[in-house]
Amino acid sequence: MLLEKYLRVGLKNEMQKYWSIFKISFEQEFAYRLNFILWRVRNVFQILLTYFLWSTVFASPTTQIFGYDRTKIITYVFGIMIVRALVLSARAMDVSSDVAQGDLSNYLLKPLSYFKYWFTRDISSKVLNLIFAAVEFAVLFIILKPPFFFQGSIVALLAFSVSIILAIFIYFFLLFLISSIPFWAPEIGWGSHFLVTVVIIEALSGSLFPINILPINLQSIVMATPFPYLIYFPVEVYLGNIGGSALLGGLMIAIAWTGVLWLALNFVWQKGLKVYQAIGR
Amino acid sequence: MVIGQKLALSVFLVGKVLRFVFFFGFLYFLLLGNSTLAGYTSNQIIFFFLTFNLIDVITQFLFREVYSFRPMIINGDFDLVLVKPISALFRVLMGGADVVDLITIPPLIFLTIYFGALLHPSVLSALYYLLLLANGFLIATAFHIIVLAFAIVTLEVDHTVMIYRDLTSLGRLPIEIYKQPLQAFLTYLVPVGIMISLPAKAMMGLVGIGGILVGFLVGAVALFIAFRFWNYALTKYSSASS
Amino acid sequence: MNRAIIVDNLVKNFEVAQKEPGLTGAFKSFFSPQKKQVHALRGVSFSIQPGELVGFIGPNGAGKTTTLKTLSGLLFPTSGFVEVLEHDPWTRKPEFLKQISLVMGQKNQLWWDLPAIETFELNRAIYEIPTRVYEENLRELVELLEVEKLLKTPVRKLSLGQRMRMELVAALLHKPKVLFLDEPTIGLDLVAQQKMRDFIYDYNRKYEATILLTSHNMDDLVNLARRVIVINEGRILFDGALEDLVAKFAKEKIIKATLSNENGIADIEKIGKVKKLAFPQVILSVPRAATAVAASELLQNFPVDDLTIEEIPIEDVIRKVFKSGLKK
Repeated sequence: MLLEKYLRVGLKNEMQKYWSIFKISFEQEFAYRLNFILWRVRNVFQILLTYFLWSTVFASPTTQIFGYDRTKIITYVFGIMIVRALVLSARAMDVSSDVAQGDLSNYLLKPLSYFKYWFTRDISSKVLNLIFAAVEFAVLFIILKPPFFFQGSIVALLAFSVSIILAIFIYFFLLFLISSIPFWAPEIGWGSHFLVTVVIIEALSGSLFPINILPINLQSIVMATPFPYLIYFPVEVYLGNIGGSALLGGLMIAIAWTGVLWLALNFVWQKGLKVYQAIGR
Repeated sequence: MVIGQKLALSVFLVGKVLRFVFFFGFLYFLLLGNSTLAGYTSNQIIFFFLTFNLIDVITQFLFREVYSFRPMIINGDFDLVLVKPISALFRVLMGGADVVDLITIPPLIFLTIYFGALLHPSVLSALYYLLLLANGFLIATAFHIIVLAFAIVTLEVDHTVMIYRDLTSLGRLPIEIYKQPLQAFLTYLVPVGIMISLPAKAMMGLVGIGGILVGFLVGAVALFIAFRFWNYALTKYSSASS
Repeated sequence: MNRAIIVDNLVKNFEVAQKEPGLTGAFKSFFSPQKKQVHALRGVSFSIQPGELVGFIGPNGAGKTTTLKTLSGLLFPTSGFVEVLEHDPWTRKPEFLKQISLVMGQKNQLWWDLPAIETFELNRAIYEIPTRVYEENLRELVELLEVEKLLKTPVRKLSLGQRMRMELVAALLHKPKVLFLDEPTIGLDLVAQQKMRDFIYDYNRKYEATILLTSHNMDDLVNLARRVIVINEGRILFDGALEDLVAKFAKEKIIKATLSNENGIADIEKIGKVKKLAFPQVILSVPRAATAVAASELLQNFPVDDLTIEEIPIEDVIRKVFKSGLKK
């Protein structure tokens, strides 16, 4: 029937659109090979500090603090490698310069959803980074021979997957929101990303330390923000450290943040586009 | 200064301060109570961290111009620098200082003195600390010179500087936490250990005259290599064309 | 559809933040920001038929680019009516966007580090161009613009002229019905400029695309646009055939001569109106019809080393147009 054919062709075109974006984004990263390799090297250095730090804290195999033992904390660190590649690999911070320098105009002229475009580019980056992270994971695993905890519970693994998906969306919306600042203040485009994306997220997402080493009242404050749901929460779910009602509660908060950020983004973006004066020639 | 610039600088300032506060807070909560790390007390660990920051912030303050080096080479401004009577190296190393850092340095010095005092160092230890701190600066300077020389030859600055920053940030904690051979690597080859850990350890009275001498030796060698490399790079310099 | 583009009483104002220098200025602008109103367009009206090739001419800041951006949906009107291909551009519907194209000189859509062909493939997918149609369009455009050999070269390695041609290919792959060109010849050398004009002319003829181009270079119009719209300070001063504009307002041409000695220099005013006399340079303006005669008289009676004949600068033409009031 005509409707069926229309839907089929339409769907095929949509798929092709995003596959094309995925491909070209992938190629672009290769064009900046050296840049990318060095990015991965830097990732490894950061992991090394975290790994050795915790290794030393838990030097004695019987140490048990903050609810971790040596195996679990090392698994946490290794888990961060993979979760970072999945969640924190993104290109969407480049939206900031698109807005600040007027390149956004090029995209407004095309029959393309700007959000979907960048989300596809993010996924492309995640795939590439995941491949490298997996290799680094394997290599470091062989060299350092860490104790690793393999999660067996299906429920935990399922919850882990859900939390990862939520984390990906939360990060995407956050990046886009910060990147909207140049609509009103182009001078602090990079500065605001430095402040939020680099400093705040690195600290509060669980990349450096598991959030539960903080005293309870501080913990509650941090867990009310979206940041720990990027890294800390998914890894903890994988480790089985969060279960039952706490798990459900955490997922609720993550879902709530996803919704709030999505609404905020739409609102801010609409306002921003109105203000946008296709600057530059 | 335009309001936009002021705003941008404030945002960066807040970011840098927060970064410090977060790591500091992390160390504090980690070592709450009388926990030790690699045999060091929490005050000592914090002192390592402060020493790192001191060297890091001051070198960044002095050598900010290094970050502008690549464009300088590409658009040919470096030629103008070379023909002037001031030492080219001095100009590209220290040509531009960042006002923002002037705000962060005094509190940092104060904190370092405060925590240093908590360690009850002897006069000799404090002296060793200052000497080795200076030595650490010299090594950092040598690093930056090498980065610049590398840039002349390969046009690559940003990445090498980032790698340098990543390596030195491993010095936020005493290098004892790193297993061999990484520890040896960090002590002798890329002397983060000599730059940062050694002065801090001296303050704690853990370093004898032998260690001081080794430290200075490494510093001297680093500077020597740096200057040789810089002069070599100048001979390889091909002026930028459009 | 009888009209491709309809603009009625379009007004566009910008608010620009005023930033005073100095510390006190910085404080002032933080607490009570001064905004200045810029009236980019003050009630512009015109309509364009499908297939027309129209030149939008005016000095910098006249409102040309603002008009193009409003017509392509990048800016929304402060007031007034705008319709392109029976769509409101601001709604940016996909069906609308698939039929238009805007090419701005300094804004590249090509991916900088990759070969141009990659961007073309991407556009093919974005505009949902069927493969066979895409390949045919690509072939035609590449031939017309002479860029076959450059398809696999990374864009950053191309010269400005080559890049502009690639940008055109990228912009035309989806065969837009309406093409907006903002300063298409800027930054190009004379040969490349002419080639660009030839291409635009051929494209308009062959595909009957409606083309609206802006320029502050009079030469872009002379052999290209039959119809010109002169705009200055947000208002249309003239809309009509190029011949009429020239005949009415650019009644004179400029002769610039370099003399080898000062003999008889006082008599030079017999040839034409002396605009500037600073030995060895002399600049005369002569009636258009009398240009050839004046030039030959100059050559015969004066020690001329070098001589050029030029059009009056567009700013002067527009000043004249403005002086004689608005003309529809």
